[in-house]
Amino acid sequence: MPVIIEFNQVTVITPPNKTILSGITFTLQTGAKVALCGKSGSGKSTVLKTLLGLHPLASGSVHFQGCPLNASTLATIRSQAAYIGQEPVLAADTVRSALLLPFQFKAQRSHAPSEAQINAVLERLHLPQTILEQECSRISGGEKQRIALARGLLLGKNLYLLDEVTSALDPESKQAVLKVFADPNLTVLSVTHDADWLAQCSRMLELAAGRIIMDTNKQTNHDHT
Amino acid sequence: MTTLDIAWPQMAVLYGLCLLPWLLLGLTGLRLNKTVAISMVRMSVQLGLVGIYLKTLFNLNDPWLNSLWIILMLVVADVSILQRAGLKIRYFILCTFTAIAFSTLFATGYLVVLVIRPASYFDAHYIVPLAGMMLGNSLQGNVIALERFYSTLRKNDSEYLTFLLLGATRWEAVRPYFRMAITAAISPTLAGMATMGLVSLPGMMTGQILGGSEPWLAVKYQIAIMICIFASTTLACIINLKLSLKIAFNSYDVLKEEVMQTP
Repeated sequence: MPVIIEFNQVTVITPPNKTILSGITFTLQTGAKVALCGKSGSGKSTVLKTLLGLHPLASGSVHFQGCPLNASTLATIRSQAAYIGQEPVLAADTVRSALLLPFQFKAQRSHAPSEAQINAVLERLHLPQTILEQECSRISGGEKQRIALARGLLLGKNLYLLDEVTSALDPESKQAVLKVFADPNLTVLSVTHDADWLAQCSRMLELAAGRIIMDTNKQTNHDHT
Repeated sequence: MTTLDIAWPQMAVLYGLCLLPWLLLGLTGLRLNKTVAISMVRMSVQLGLVGIYLKTLFNLNDPWLNSLWIILMLVVADVSILQRAGLKIRYFILCTFTAIAFSTLFATGYLVVLVIRPASYFDAHYIVPLAGMMLGNSLQGNVIALERFYSTLRKNDSEYLTFLLLGATRWEAVRPYFRMAITAAISPTLAGMATMGLVSLPGMMTGQILGGSEPWLAVKYQIAIMICIFASTTLACIINLKLSLKIAFNSYDVLKEEVMQTP
């Protein structure tokens, strides 16, 4: 499978002089399910945010579909990837507005989903149709996570950057989400501690103090320590 | 009708009016007496200086000197805006100067050339006070616009990034905060226009009437100045905010922290 993301000796330093990623190297192939693990503050979320251009590189390089990270590549990443954090921001009054929010933007204005498409996505994530008219401020954390995922699915994204998205889900909802991301067409780079999620991933990168200390996949184990 | 002069002894009597509130502030333990005294002294000294330089400017009435004076007012206003808005002067001075200069000169020029039409367009009696009034109001509006925009954006950075990651362009992602900032900046002007004459008589109009003008003339000037203040403030805020977007973000649409003043 073609390589979609490549981190090559990436170091990120935040002001005044704190190294939060150090020499991170890995590749992610289309359709792969890769998990980033490690203790809090180890740099897992920073990897996702670096790919989204939120942290400048001190050294090393990031490539997306073979192109180095720059303003133009970033626009491609943002158009192809969905980032969903632990506490997703729905940025709308009602769930329906939240789902339709991206379709107000020029790039997606002509691709607004039909009611049937919205209902199908809700069903896949075990969400009732009645949730559409609820206020975002009144729904639970787990529902917010699934609405954010639903928004990504409605946008037809193929790359998902997920940060602890199962943290607030009950077992049934989690199974629904796991089933959605078992799709071989979806590429997933996720921060997780969840055992069920890890079991579904083809590869696990363990970080400590901004470094990859273990790279494990189903076929081979590489210890970086 | 001629304006009655206020003799210096009567000016001293005028300050006596402040004594009673000043004493009451002291008795109620509000600890504002020092602040009030400093404000009174500052107002008196600053207006005294204004009197001296305006008299000099009006006597000389030299177009170059008038222009130089307006440029000086613009620079002082720009520095004041950026300091009060929490933005670093060296990054934003050019865009703020461009926005304020264009809007102030455009509105003042429009009023002087097309509406008032004095014998000389560079007559200090017209351009200096008019530009000063526009500048003062633009200053307030731009402080609110810049401060509100960048503080709201920083407070809602997760929401802003969500917009970007959902496919918004930078402009689409900042538009809610832009709208909020511009509304806040021009609201005082709009509220002032809506209640003008009902709640209070505007200062400039009162001044003109006390100065001996016919009420209709004073009303016409007040309307003219309000329209120009609205136009210059709105133009300045929109242009300034739009230009600042080019400086405040990196090529990845992330707000640059180094352009903000450290608290």
